[in-house]
Amino acid sequence: MNRMGEYRKPRIGVYICQCGSNIAATVDTEAVAEFASRLDGVVLTRVNKYTCSDPGQATIRKDIQEQKLDRVVIAACTPRMHEPTFRRTLESAGLNPYYLEMTNIREQVSWVHPAGEAATHKAMDLVAAAVERVHLHRALYPRKSPIEPAALVVGAGIAGIQAALDIADAGYQVYLVEREPTIGGKMAQLDKTFPTLDCAT
Amino acid sequence: MMDAGRHPNIRLLSYSEVVEVHGYVGNFQVRVKQKPRYVDIERCTGCGACVEACVWKDRVYSEYEAGLGLRGAAYIPFAQAVPMKAVIDPNSCLFLTRGKCSQKCVQACEARAIHFDQKEEFIDLKVGAVVLATGYELTDHPSLARYGYGLYDNVIDGIQFERLSSAAGPTGGRIVTRDGRVPETVVFLHCIGSRDEDAHEYCSRICCMYGAKQAHLALEKTGGRVYQFYIDMRTAGKGYEEFYKRMQHEGVRYIRGKVAEVVPDAENGKLLVRGEDTLLGRYVEIPADLVVLLTAIKPAEGSRELGKLFGVAVDKDGFFAEAHPKLRPVDTTTDGVFLAGCCQSPKDIPDTVAQASGAAAKAIVLLSKREIEIDPTVAEVDRDKCSGCGECILACPYHAIERVEGKAQVNIALCKGCGTCVGACLAKAIIGHHFTDEELIAQIEGIFEREPEYSFP
Repeated sequence: MNRMGEYRKPRIGVYICQCGSNIAATVDTEAVAEFASRLDGVVLTRVNKYTCSDPGQATIRKDIQEQKLDRVVIAACTPRMHEPTFRRTLESAGLNPYYLEMTNIREQVSWVHPAGEAATHKAMDLVAAAVERVHLHRALYPRKSPIEPAALVVGAGIAGIQAALDIADAGYQVYLVEREPTIGGKMAQLDKTFPTLDCAT
Repeated sequence: MMDAGRHPNIRLLSYSEVVEVHGYVGNFQVRVKQKPRYVDIERCTGCGACVEACVWKDRVYSEYEAGLGLRGAAYIPFAQAVPMKAVIDPNSCLFLTRGKCSQKCVQACEARAIHFDQKEEFIDLKVGAVVLATGYELTDHPSLARYGYGLYDNVIDGIQFERLSSAAGPTGGRIVTRDGRVPETVVFLHCIGSRDEDAHEYCSRICCMYGAKQAHLALEKTGGRVYQFYIDMRTAGKGYEEFYKRMQHEGVRYIRGKVAEVVPDAENGKLLVRGEDTLLGRYVEIPADLVVLLTAIKPAEGSRELGKLFGVAVDKDGFFAEAHPKLRPVDTTTDGVFLAGCCQSPKDIPDTVAQASGAAAKAIVLLSKREIEIDPTVAEVDRDKCSGCGECILACPYHAIERVEGKAQVNIALCKGCGTCVGACLAKAIIGHHFTDEELIAQIEGIFEREPEYSFP
């Protein structure tokens, strides 16, 4: 649905990453791209050597703007790696970053299966799943919350004292909480310290 | 210590404990309980008149002297204490325990700082970041009895040795037995309570080196024979191996083997240290005047409970769990809460200081942002569908859901978007944004919609 309440078919771009030979040596990326181009809503498919590279990202940005893409599927590595990267790419092209769907054809396909048709078919299935899902993605907006410019340090031994001093030196208010009547902790009980034999207190 | 007490940006809350924590990264509300010292620290000048006047003067074991020295009920923990203020121990003060005392301390105090009617106070703080640095204590595991710990006066632990050796300590820095003799033989036992399945399995990491340092002090100050029973010497650290080598040259006798028992010798009042020299493959028995147990570090008491307040888990040994053992050793799974020092794992002073500065840097980075962005891939409750049953509250691993006016409400700053509540909700009243049921079902259908072009063998 668009803002006027009428259904508008999404325009999905699908990017198949070769990750050098990490994916391409195992999965027939061209075949996956050809398969993806026939999926519902897909208006563009591309195969990249490294989608995460600057030129790879620039292509996505250009496609979003010129081809009016409103959904992006990237079949590459784990989203733990580059989902933040590609979300920023979408954002910089003026698209809500949550219109991205990543599917993992490296850790879950090329790195764990022998090269061949079965691996390529699995990659196709994952891409088909991602395309189905990205249809339903909605724009999401992060919320902001102010930060209280003060820190609490619990425990005033050598660790707590050091942390408190560093934070205080940076100009922030520090509350240093110690359960004993004095600060100093175990360190204050020590005589000399190894290996230089200098005094502890 | 002095710097921390004087720093204009540091407010010191001594004799205080964290009792309640609410909120989330950037916005923690923390309640601190300040225990009554029975001394007004604004008025107290630290002159020590009350300490001298206390009727219990030198009749209570001093924690600071690790039980080797005495203090009164009114006392100043040690000469460089910060704050340099007296405190009255409610467990030994005659007036506070029995309600009867001539209160000489009150008469002695010219600043009129002593107030027996002082009550605990609660202080509410708002902070953006938290550093946990609760440290350690030495193990007192019951299995230590086999080495005579707690049974014989001249079996002491590492901290007690430090107090003996300290010029400000109870003996003025003389290393002597409990009856005041200069020991002819001092025996150190390594790995006491550590690397021991009966007590703590982990290596306590600092004991090899503090044992070496104490051997040096024992040699220097007693001129006697110094033995060390060890399992393996672990001297990883800058200058550490060299220090160990130096001790060997100075004449410390290292014996590879674990001691079986320490028993008293009735004939001469010495202690017999019995064990095996595993390199020579023979039984050894050494008559000792002083036995020092290099006891293991364990997490400070109460750290598990404190961890719960902040949503920080402890590992199997009771140390605070870091977010990632290699890449996030200073963070915890609660955003905005960082770790420093031995509360996370046993470590020596340089590593402790390094981690503390690391934790401080993490806190500074956070505080310098002014605002945090909260990821919108979180759960949201449809209040019309919620029955208020509370299943989601129990299910949430991040304590991110609370009941507001009878219905569940997600605190988006605490929610990690894991989806546990979505699955737990019987009324299907919770949606996980970006991971809605519709999205997930569509994803599954995407796989099965088309005719399989292959079959699994």
